[in-house]
Order: sequence, then C-alpha cells, then structure tokens
Amino acid sequence: MAMEPSILTSRWKIPDAHRIDVAMKHGAWATLPAALKMAPGEITQVVKDSGLRGRGGAGFPTGVKWGFVPPPEKRNGKPVYLVCNADESEPGTFKDRYLMWKDPHMFLEGIVISAYAIGAKAAYIYLRGEFGFVRRRVDEAIAEARAKGFIGRNILGSGVDVEVYTHLGAGAYICGEETALLSSLEGKKGQPKLKPPFPAVEGAWRAPTIVNNVETMAAVTWIVGHGAAAYREFGTEKSPGTKLLSVSGHVLKPGVYEIDMGIPMMDFIMDTAGGLRPGRKLKAVVPGGSSVPIMTPDEVARATIDYESIHEVSGSYLGSGGMIVMDDTTDLAEGLANLLRFYAHESCGQCTPCREGTGWMFRILKRVKEGRATDVDLATLKNLADNIHSKTICFFGASAAMPVQSWLKKFPDEFFGRVHRTGKVGYADVGAEPPGGDKPGGTTQAAK
Amino acid sequence: MTDQAHNGEKVAWTEQELAEIEEIASRYPSRRSAMLPVLWMAQHKFGWLSLPVLELVAETVGVPPSEARAVASFYTMLKKKPTGRYVLQVCHTLSCALNGAEEIIRHIESKYDFDENGNTPDGLFTLERVECLASCGSGPMMQVGEHYYERLTPEKVDEILAGFESGEPLPTPRPEADEWQWNLQS
Amino acid sequence: MPTVKVNGIEVEVAPGTNMIEAARQAGVDIPHYCYHPHLPVAGNCRMCLVDVEAGGRGPDIACNMQARDGLAIRTDTDNVKRMRRSVMEFLLVNHPLDCPICDQAGECRLQDYYMEHGQHHSRLADEKITRTKRQDIGDLIILDADRCIACSRCVRFSDEVTKTGELRLFNRTDHTEIGVFPGTRLSHHYQGCLADICPVGALTNKDFRFQKRSWYLRAEPSVCDRCATGCNIDVDHDHGEVFRYRPRRNDAVNKSWMCDFGRLSYKRLAAEDRILTARGPEGAEGVDAVLAGLAAAVDAAARDHGDGSVGLVLGTRATNEANWAMLRALRAAVPGARVFLVEGNDPDAFDYTDDLLVHADKNPNTAGVRLIAEADGAVGDAEALRAALADGGLRLLLVLADDVLARLGEVRRPEALAFFGTWANATSEAARWVLPLAAAQEVEGSFTNFQGRVQRLQPAIPAAGDSRPGQVLAAGLARALGEDALPAGAAGVFHDLAANVPAFFGLSLAGLGAEGALVHREPPTEQVAPPDTRPAP
Ligand SMILES: Cc1cc2nc3c(=O)[nH]c(=O)nc-3n(C[C@H](O)[C@H](O)[C@H](O)COP(=O)(O)O)c2cc1C
Ligand code: SF4
Ligand code: SF4
Ligand code: FES
Ligand code: FES
Repeated sequence: MAMEPSILTSRWKIPDAHRIDVAMKHGAWATLPAALKMAPGEITQVVKDSGLRGRGGAGFPTGVKWGFVPPPEKRNGKPVYLVCNADESEPGTFKDRYLMWKDPHMFLEGIVISAYAIGAKAAYIYLRGEFGFVRRRVDEAIAEARAKGFIGRNILGSGVDVEVYTHLGAGAYICGEETALLSSLEGKKGQPKLKPPFPAVEGAWRAPTIVNNVETMAAVTWIVGHGAAAYREFGTEKSPGTKLLSVSGHVLKPGVYEIDMGIPMMDFIMDTAGGLRPGRKLKAVVPGGSSVPIMTPDEVARATIDYESIHEVSGSYLGSGGMIVMDDTTDLAEGLANLLRFYAHESCGQCTPCREGTGWMFRILKRVKEGRATDVDLATLKNLADNIHSKTICFFGASAAMPVQSWLKKFPDEFFGRVHRTGKVGYADVGAEPPGGDKPGGTTQAAK
Repeated sequence: MTDQAHNGEKVAWTEQELAEIEEIASRYPSRRSAMLPVLWMAQHKFGWLSLPVLELVAETVGVPPSEARAVASFYTMLKKKPTGRYVLQVCHTLSCALNGAEEIIRHIESKYDFDENGNTPDGLFTLERVECLASCGSGPMMQVGEHYYERLTPEKVDEILAGFESGEPLPTPRPEADEWQWNLQS
Repeated sequence: MPTVKVNGIEVEVAPGTNMIEAARQAGVDIPHYCYHPHLPVAGNCRMCLVDVEAGGRGPDIACNMQARDGLAIRTDTDNVKRMRRSVMEFLLVNHPLDCPICDQAGECRLQDYYMEHGQHHSRLADEKITRTKRQDIGDLIILDADRCIACSRCVRFSDEVTKTGELRLFNRTDHTEIGVFPGTRLSHHYQGCLADICPVGALTNKDFRFQKRSWYLRAEPSVCDRCATGCNIDVDHDHGEVFRYRPRRNDAVNKSWMCDFGRLSYKRLAAEDRILTARGPEGAEGVDAVLAGLAAAVDAAARDHGDGSVGLVLGTRATNEANWAMLRALRAAVPGARVFLVEGNDPDAFDYTDDLLVHADKNPNTAGVRLIAEADGAVGDAEALRAALADGGLRLLLVLADDVLARLGEVRRPEALAFFGTWANATSEAARWVLPLAAAQEVEGSFTNFQGRVQRLQPAIPAAGDSRPGQVLAAGLARALGEDALPAGAAGVFHDLAANVPAFFGLSLAGLGAEGALVHREPPTEQVAPPDTRPAP
C-alpha cells in the first residue's frame, strides 16, 4: 500500500494531541509567529499559489475568495469577519469532526492566520448543533491558545487582534450552506440569502465575510508553514495537496483518511478502506457526500480521486470527500428514497421548487420503494428534478436533484424493476441510455 | 398573550444567567445573534421550549415572540414538546441505513411501549429518528444527550439502555474518533 | 442610465432598477409573487425566472437582477414557459384548490397565472400537506394558512413597514406555515394592507370577505380625506355603492399603503349622519332656496350692522376649491366680511397617530387652507374668532366643513350660523342653514397634504343626495348675492386660486399628475401665469 501522506493528520496518532502542550511539542502554533511577520497580502498570495481549493464541497480556490474582500476604503467602515464552517452535515461526511476532535489546534491556528490575512478581528466557528461535545473540546483549545497569547488582543506582541468564538447550531443541514450559516449566526432561521451580494462583499451582519471549511483552515496552517511549493508536491496540477476522505458504507475499514489527490479511486476503496466484505461486488459509489451524482463501478475503476478526474469520468464531484460505498446487496430504490427523505426533511422551505419539490420527489420514491408506483412516476421524478436543479435560491435544490437524476440515469433497472410498467415511459424519459438488447417501452410523450 | 406558566412555574432568568447572557451577547455585533445560545440555555433550564419560555427568550434578545418561535420551529434540536428523560436519536440516513440502522430502531421499538410521539409511558425514553449526525463511518449510531454511541449492535443497545434504566451514571462513551488508527499505522 | 434589452426591446432605465421593472417599461409583464416594489426583495417564489441572453448567466430571477449595460433577458422562450409552468405546479402541489369557496377568487394571482402559465392536467396524485384553516388573527384579517404560498410578503411587511413583526413563516420544508405567535393578534393599524399584498387568499379582509365578488367592482382613483397625509386610494364601487377603499400607489405619499381607519372610512359615504339635503329655518328645502335665504340674511346683516358682522370660517376638511370659491364669493359681496381659520381635529376624527402614514392632523387640507389664508392676509385664528364672537359684533357666521363649534369649545354663539358640511355635528346642529357638501370622493377638486403636495380629486361616484361640491355651493351663494362674475367649476376656481395664491403659482388642476405637485415653499417673486385649463364655454 502506498504511503499515505500525513500533513493534516500528522498529530492524530499522538495521544492527547488536542492538548496544547502536546500539540506544541509537535509543531502546533509554530507557524503563527512567522505568519504575523508576513504582510496579510503575502499570506493570501501563498494560499493562492498553493492552489488550495475549499474543502467544504464547492472546491472554490481559497486565496481567490479571500481576494474578493473589498479593500478598507470600500467597506463603509464595516469590519471583516471570518467564519469557519464546522457544520459538517452533508451525509457521508465526518472528517471535520475527527479533525476538530483529534487536533483542534491545527485548524485554530489556521483560523488566526486566515483572520490576519483577510483583516478580520473576529472569527466565529459555526458547529452543527449535535457537536456539543466537539465544541467543548474546541472551546478548551481556544482557552489554552488564548492563555498562550495566540488568540485575543495583541497576539504575541504583534499588535494584531483576533478573537475566536464558537457558535452552536441547533439541528439543520442547510446551515452548512454558507449564507444559511450566516443567517443562523445572526440569530435567524437558517435560510440561505440571495446572491448577489456574495458574503465576501456583504455577509454576516452585512459586513464582508469569508466562510471557510474546517479542513481548509487546517490546510492553511500547513501551507503557510511549509510554502506553496511544498504543498503542490502533493496532489495534481489542478487539485493540489491532500484531502481528507470520510469513507462509509460497505467497506471493511470505514473512517477518515488523508490522501494524496490523484490516487486511483478503486485502489483506495479496495486497499486503504479495507475493501468490501468477502464475496461482495461493488455496486455504486457516491464520492463526495450524498448530494453528488452516483458513480458506477466502471467509472470508479477509471477515476482518480481529484476534482477533475471524478467530474470528467462520471460527471460527479469530489465535493466534501464523503465517500459512500455500496455493494451488490444494496437496494438503490430504497437508498434513493432514503436520501430524498433526508432532503425533504432538510429543505429550508424558502423557495418554491425546493420546498415543494423535495417532498414531492420523496413521496413518489416512497411509492416506488413500496411497489406502489408506475413508470410514469419515474418520468415525473426525473422531470421534477430537472425543474428544481438551478432554479432555486441556493445549491441545496441541485443537491437534492442530482442524486435523483444520476441514480435514475445510471441505474435505471433498479427503478424500472420496482414499478408497474404502463409501457408509456422508456429509459430515455428518465435520462438513461436504453440498455443494449432490451428495449422497454421506448420514448413517449405521455409523461411530459 | 399566553399567560399559563411553564410547567406551572413562572419563567425568569436568575441574576447569574442574565450575566451569562450579557457575556454571550457581547460576542456579536448584534444582540439578536444571541438567539440560538439563549434558546439553548432556555432548553437546558426549562427542559423544553413552551410558549412562555419562547416569550422570555424573545424578550431577552429583543425580538417579537413570533420570531423566537419561528427560529425554534426551524431547528430540529430545539424541543417544541416535552420529551422523555433520555432522547434516543438514532440516525437513519443512508450510510447508517446501509449498516443496519433500521434493525437498531426496530430493536429499540420492540423493547418499550412507545406512544405515537415516541415517548415511553414512564417518561424515561423518547425514540427519535434523526438524519445524518456526521458519524457515518461508525454507524449505526445514536446520540443521547450530548454523547454519540457508535457502531451499535442490538446487544450494545441493550447494555446502554439498561444503564440508563438503572439510573447509574454511565461512563462517557469514547467517540470513535479516539479509537481511530487505521490509516495512521504506517 | 443603463440600457438593457427585454425580448429584444431596448429600454433605458434608472440606475438600480430591477429587471421586473425594466421589463414593465419595455411593455413586458414578468409574472411574480414575492416581489413587491415597496418591500425588500426576497426572491423566493421563483416565478420571475427568465433566460439571460447576454451580460450574465441564466436562468435567473428578474426581481434580484439589477439593470446594467449590456444585460439582455428573454421571457418568451420555451424554457421560460416551462419554468413558469413548473413553478405553478410546485405551488399547487400542496394547495387546497378551493377557489369556488375562496374570497380571493378573481383577484388571486395563483388563479390568474394558472390560467396563463399553468398546465391544465394534474399529476398531483399524492396526498396534500394541510395547514391550519380560518384563523381570526386581527380585527380586519382572517388567515387561511392552507392557501399560503410562503411568498413572505406579509412577513416583510410586518418587519419593514409596520415594524411589529407579528407574522412569521414557521417550521421549514413543505410544512412551512404562516402564522402569528399563538394567542396573539395583529396589533397594528395597517392590517388591510396585508390582504392587499397577499397574492392569494391566505390573508383576507374580514370587512370585505364575501361582500362582493371582485369582478363586479369598478375602481376609481381618489384620495383619502381622513388625515393630512392624503393617501391615494382606489374607490371600488358597484354602480355608486362603495364596497371598499384600497391604497393606490403613490411613491411620494403612501407608497402602496394606507391605514385601516382611512380604509374603512368608505362607510362614511353612506353613513346615517351624512347631510344629504339642505335645511333652512323652516326645515328641509331645496339647496337653492336655502342659499337664497342665507344670502338674504348676509345682505341684511351687512346692511344693518356693517360688513364686519358677517364672517366665514374656512374648512380644513374641504377642498382648495371649496375654500377659495367661498372666500371669493363672500369677499365679492361683502368686502369687509371677517374670515377665520380654526385648526384642530373634529370629534369624529380617529384617535391614532404614527410616523408611518397617519398624521396627527386629521384634516385633509389644513396645508392648503393655510396657504389661502396666508395669501388673503386678513384671516384670523381661533382666538380672533373667539374674541369676535364674545363681543357680539359677529352676528352671522358661515362655516365650511369643520366642526368649528366643537373646535372652539365653550364660546358665545353667533346669532345665526350657516354650515356647509358633509356630516352632522355640533356645528350643523346649531346652524340655521345647513348646506349638503359632497364628500371628497364625489367631487372635482384638490387637497394639499401636509407635505404641501396638491393632489387631485375626481368624482369616483356621484354625489349622494342633494349634496354638491363646495365650489358649486359657493357659486350658488354668490349668485344669490348678486355676484355672477366669479369662476364656476373646479378647474376654473383652481385657475383663479393659482393666479392669486403665490404658493400655487403655475399649477393647474389637470396638470397635477399622478403623484400630485408640490406647492412652492418659497413663493416665486414674479407671478407665473397658470395655463388656462378651463373648459371652453
Ligand atoms: C446544501 C449545502 C450544504 C453545505 N454543507 C456544508 C458543510 O456542512 N460544511 C462545509 O464546510 N461546507 C458546506 N457547504 C459549502 C459551503 O456553502 C461553502 O461553500 C463552504 O463552507 C466554503 O468553504 P470552503 O471554501 O473552505 O470550502 C454546503 C453547501 C451547500 C449548498
Ligand atoms: S434551494 Fe431549498 S434549501 Fe436552498 S433556499 Fe431554496 S428552499 Fe431553501
Ligand atoms: S400569507 Fe399571503 S402574503 Fe403571507 S406568505 Fe402566505 S401567500 Fe405570502
Ligand atoms: S448516515 Fe448516520 S451518521 Fe451519517
Ligand atoms: S418575484 Fe422574483 S422570485 Fe419571486
């Protein structure tokens, strides 16, 4: 097995690395003093040069995002805020929890460095409501760092102030979406805001705000400490660095792995993640959290784990790196109904297509799963997903639509096999290629 | 206005709680950002968020009562109804489901006589199905109070619930993350 | 000024204009639910999705799209049609579809757009989610949450306009439900606006509910006369029977709003205390006969006791034209008559004031009358009137519209009183001659609101009973006094007013425009000749 890189997880194997004394023996908070001697713009440049892409799911280049913060003279006297997204609620994703639990100082250091880089004096860590126990640990780490002068006023005598606060959500997946997160931080229902304006220009409390994922913040620490070039030694040209993957489902060694981007996906599943249970075959993989399109075994075999390859090979995304592996015992109709129940439960209820469409899709899928649906329902399902995708306020709509579209497209038999066939609907009506040989139904207008 | 008090008591903060609220509010540029922290405090103090409690919260953070209720109604962890002493929140999202979440839920259901709200008659337990808790690699799992109980089997569930029934304080479960070693061995 | 294209039609719009408004200017209607010109943009209904041809990425919502050079959108594509149909379908999937028993029928945007953009077969086979029916949440409002499409207009209205924040969308997902905090009710005085802005039948006006199907009503523009703000209104009537007032948009005055007191004041048009006939010392007589009697009394008083024994109190509740015509009539016949202006609110004024619309001054034309008084230069105030009454020198007093006796309180009454008014009051009770003055919604003329904005009145409905506009009564009185040369008709009176009252220089009744026109704060030094808008004889 290839050596796994260990740059974000380097202290995870060390007992009690969440304690500052232990962590500092192994390099924690050693980057901050050097960073404070750099100009903020220099730090942003290093992060830009490293090619680091946001690890929360969208993969937007972090340094570029920081560059969107308006210069002081264009802020109408408003402060800048940094918000660390520790909501981690995309099904299949649990790496941020591990990171905060095992080595909170890693991302805290990144938060202080990033806040300095963007000119923020206050940073908020938004944790999902269920992470009360994680928050305790992070709060302890903040207190330790404050006691050592790494957080607070006049950090290490540099004149730089950065306060770091934790803020606990209360149970809502959508609060992972950055503008919903900001609404929630402001004390409101966690509903996404219209873009434009973008948070970097008008975010929390209508002030410029940068939202970054926990893992992104940890990577910043390493990048500023070791340089952009060192970071680029990992990963690929367009997906530099390492990535934390959360692996779950039908593998023998589920868990969090740090990988060098660009490694073959099949090898990762079959070796690193322990492979499947004996006698089982791979049926499908959802590579980047439940929202991204599903991959077939053939696609998995051709893909490497990085932003480009996954998309080129399968139309899917690396997303949050939450990989859900399903073997041949999996009932995909049931699986998709499960996911749509999730989305129907989590829609913020704000915009029409998502509010009404997710529940509707779930009700249809429930009937499909229970054998109370026809093939016309499948065409309706596909059509509803198309009517939601990119017609909504936030990306949640697409997140709910993509599983429906991709599961139907790539595994039509799993669904056609579960419904009453009227003959009015064919594979093309659910976006699938007609299978070789068997030509059920064919295309009709009936479902339009 | 709803003047029936919460569980027959008058709802009010103590001096100490008020001081804590002021400290929390000072972390944000706007007082209403203290909404979620204060709702959490209220839930810890009063057990659940009845209408009088929501009115108190609204007054505390300076918003109309309707806003406190709207916020409370949005988040699943904020209790709009009283629950049993231990709320068993079993994740039933995809990864946990692939590894037997339904079996765990059925097992718990078979052990007690839950009413339609998921409460046991003795008020000890409430069973809730919840969505993904970011513990997908260690499912099936459930959250009780602040703690995660991971890699559940029916036997493990029996043990945990027997612990709650006995009233003995249980040892805090070690999160899976503490055990996590596989990719760190090399 | 950015230039944008809508369906290929180029329009130049003001900076900051959104694409719904820009399209409107290009003559293209973009259907929408949540957007309202006087509320913050929410962008949640998605009905206004359009294709972006150039200058952006699409599809996107027009309501949150600012016009900028080079932006080109299309609303006539198949894709846009599909998107609209789809949004309609989503809105209906959990809607009760109870149009036959819904009071909003005929003014429901869901129904309208369904006809235009919807699809006419249903695949809505699954069970619907239901919400709370019929809740009484305010003095004027019934809420049927089942019909709500969660557009949040009412929530934004409560937050941004009345700032009372009672309404909220509770829960999330398709269980989202509009409501108030349990056990509470709407406390503000703009409840009717909620029914106006709700695009469906979720918030309906109790006062109007089931009174009349909206398609039987005709709307005529007018101005509310219940306070000095002068909210612009539509008078909805069926052959002269008025069923409601609704605010008419005027961005300079009332935006899209009006208060409930004004809204419900339509009832005063047909109220019991309306003065519908002329009354003289002998009881009811024709208007002309009463005017003749009054004129004789005026002549006699002036002859026997001098001009100063005759007085006129201008009316803050009457139009500019009524005031000017009365003043002119009396001054022509009795040059030395004494004229007064008694400010204050009448007992029938409602007792509520705020800083949104409702002005402390409950008279629609105080500002106009003040300007007229100022120009006249010899108008006394309440103190002067009290003094004139106290010494008994003032024997015959003509009162226009205001309940002057109530305003003055304890005072020595004149020997004889004439009242030109719309509703019975203490002054009309005490009057020897009572002349029926038509209500503001029944006349041609103008009010000057507290901003100094002159707003035009046009008869929305015929004058009730024998009542007449003030300038007509004044002309009748003038004629009876032997003065035939004075202008008659609102336009003519206004023309004469504008020629003589400096603040009105240059204005004309027909030229007031939709937003009204401001009087001159600093009167121009030279007289500007008003355009002659009098109808050709
Ligand atoms: C529905 C939805 C859920 C999301 N959930 C999360 C989340 O749980 N954690 C996270 O970091 N980002 C999440 N994101 C992405 C954030 O919106 C945002 O892009 C990210 O926090 C930016 O940080 P990054 O640039 O460091 O990735 C979510 C996005 C969407 C649309
Ligand atoms: S897409 Fe869904 S989650 Fe996003 S704003 Fe609309 S209703 Fe809310
Ligand atoms: S009640 Fe009417 S105005 Fe309010 S959200 Fe519902 S549909 Fe919109
Ligand atoms: S699926 Fe159960 S914790 Fe994620
Ligand atoms: S009008 Fe634009 S989204 Fe509702």
